[in-house]
Amino acid sequence: MSPIRQIFVLIKQVPDQSAKAGINPDGTIDRARAKRMLNPFDRYALQAALHTKQRYGGEVTAISMGPPPAVEILLEAIEHGADRGYLLSDRRLAASDTLATAYALHRVILHLGQPALIFCGLQTTDGDTAQVGPQIAERLDLPQASYCEDFRIDEQSDGNDENTRIIARRVIEGGYQWVRMAMPALITVANSYHPLAYKSIRGARRVQDLLRDEAEKNRVIRTLTLDDVGADPTLCGLKGSPTIVAKTDKVAEIGGSCKVRQGEPAEHMVRDLLQTTNLMEFAAV
Amino acid sequence: MREIVTPSNKEVIVIAEQFQGQVQPVSLELLGAGRHLADKLGGRLSAILLGHQMGEEAQRLVQHGAETVYVADHPELANYRTLPYRRVITDFLQTFDPPPHILLLGSTTTGRDLAPRIAAFFRTGLTADCTELDIGPYEHTNKADPDKLGLYPGCLYAIRPSFGESLKARILGPWNNPQMATTRPGVMIPLPADSTRTGDVREIPVNLKPEDFRLEVMEIVREAQTGVNLADADVIVAGGYGLGGPEGFRLLYDLADCFENSAVAASRKCVDAGWIPYRHQVGQTGKTVRPKIYIACGISGAIQHRVGMNKSGLIVAINKDPDAPIFQVAHHGIVGDYSQIIPEMIRQLKGAKHRSGAETPERSSAG
Repeated sequence: MSPIRQIFVLIKQVPDQSAKAGINPDGTIDRARAKRMLNPFDRYALQAALHTKQRYGGEVTAISMGPPPAVEILLEAIEHGADRGYLLSDRRLAASDTLATAYALHRVILHLGQPALIFCGLQTTDGDTAQVGPQIAERLDLPQASYCEDFRIDEQSDGNDENTRIIARRVIEGGYQWVRMAMPALITVANSYHPLAYKSIRGARRVQDLLRDEAEKNRVIRTLTLDDVGADPTLCGLKGSPTIVAKTDKVAEIGGSCKVRQGEPAEHMVRDLLQTTNLMEFAAV
Repeated sequence: MREIVTPSNKEVIVIAEQFQGQVQPVSLELLGAGRHLADKLGGRLSAILLGHQMGEEAQRLVQHGAETVYVADHPELANYRTLPYRRVITDFLQTFDPPPHILLLGSTTTGRDLAPRIAAFFRTGLTADCTELDIGPYEHTNKADPDKLGLYPGCLYAIRPSFGESLKARILGPWNNPQMATTRPGVMIPLPADSTRTGDVREIPVNLKPEDFRLEVMEIVREAQTGVNLADADVIVAGGYGLGGPEGFRLLYDLADCFENSAVAASRKCVDAGWIPYRHQVGQTGKTVRPKIYIACGISGAIQHRVGMNKSGLIVAINKDPDAPIFQVAHHGIVGDYSQIIPEMIRQLKGAKHRSGAETPERSSAG
């Protein structure tokens, strides 16, 4: 009997920085117009959740928090093989910082019932903090392995939930460490983990079916509010966030003095570069 | 506007990091930044050091600016583990009344693992990967949240690049103390070691609970840094998404081979795409480097990348797009296709080397 019945993966929809749409001339982002995508780091987390299911069984539930369009990434997760999705969507969540986000998501997890394993991406590309995963682990009083790049269930475990452990390899400066951790546990997945595999034919067909059958879609992907999960609205959104972005400044650059070579043959431009800099001093002899 | 002073003892505390009993450089850098903050606040600077049998390492923290070092020495603390470290630090910080003002950690795989847990425990604000730290007042005028209206003196300004924008954001959390931030290794400047500095070294209690041992460290491996020693390289050849694929890095390695003490680096998009391992990544979420020469090939130069390399001695950018932001930070640029420019650079560097072997021409005559 597999010790793992439920696997959660937390994912986020972020603006696509590589698309030109929604990028204002001054470099700021118009989030309403920007192209949306699944946070690239979460692709590794989703792969880790799907690997767990393939190897050890269980069901994969993808969970997200955000405005209604975030349903798109839950559908994407199902195309890759997730079993179902939940979207926590509530206006009172607007302007949540990491602490408020972690509070809200931990309420979703408690509402759904704590799983054996929770996977998160290492961080998001729009926040870059890597904080929400460990902050959820703190709220749920779970052990965590952050920066995880490989893992397996400990075969010494006897299959009993109480004693099952997970062995994880996590990145450290200049190397890695292997840790053994009791479950339930939270894992944040590094981008040195396996990249997300292609969508499965079965998953893609399932999503096509869901898009034709609204009732079935609403059964497989549920939208939850703060009230549904019993979250205290004063601990969410602006009110529940201990941090605030007070001010933004243009970044002072040392540039403006770049000597650019352009439109000449490569040979000339390279020769000019080597003659006007100290690059040659570092050439291998 | 009413002035609101959140209770604090004005202490700035650095959570020092040690590996195998050695204090890590990032902790000394944090003390450098912390010293500035404590002086501006009119407060004290201290450090918390957890480990086992660390010899004179606490004194090193004193020499780099700590007035007090709180040491937790216990065999179970020898290697970093989230839960035991979290236990000792949160137990200890709860004995402060009022709480410390600021708590700083390194943005390392340790600091980024531990800081969010401490912040969540104290329900306090935490800003990751700051590039600058300062102290100043903040006036909260947003009426959407009327309870917070007021003028807050002595706030931690946690400054970091904001997402995808050529902007830096000042992030504050004046409502709860300690106000927390992490900074990347290599960003802050340590004070020179001063053996005449004196400070208290105090033992702090260690009371671990059975649930703190839900994770054990089985093995620690530090890999020999084969060609990826970004921290010490004189010349870094870096590739971006503009390389078009993993095979582009082969050319970069060839170029790096033309230099003594060189290394190959990459922007995050290449790492995300699986073209090159994470340990090569430079930028906000990778390494911060300061080589003598940084050659950026096919890197557009998003702020997240620039903060990781903009202190390099000489920055050379090679990019097809003359409007790429990398040219704003570079000293020298070539607008062109890297697949044509780099082979030409290799040819001329090798050619010059052969000539110099034969007749040692005066290379600098054109300057």
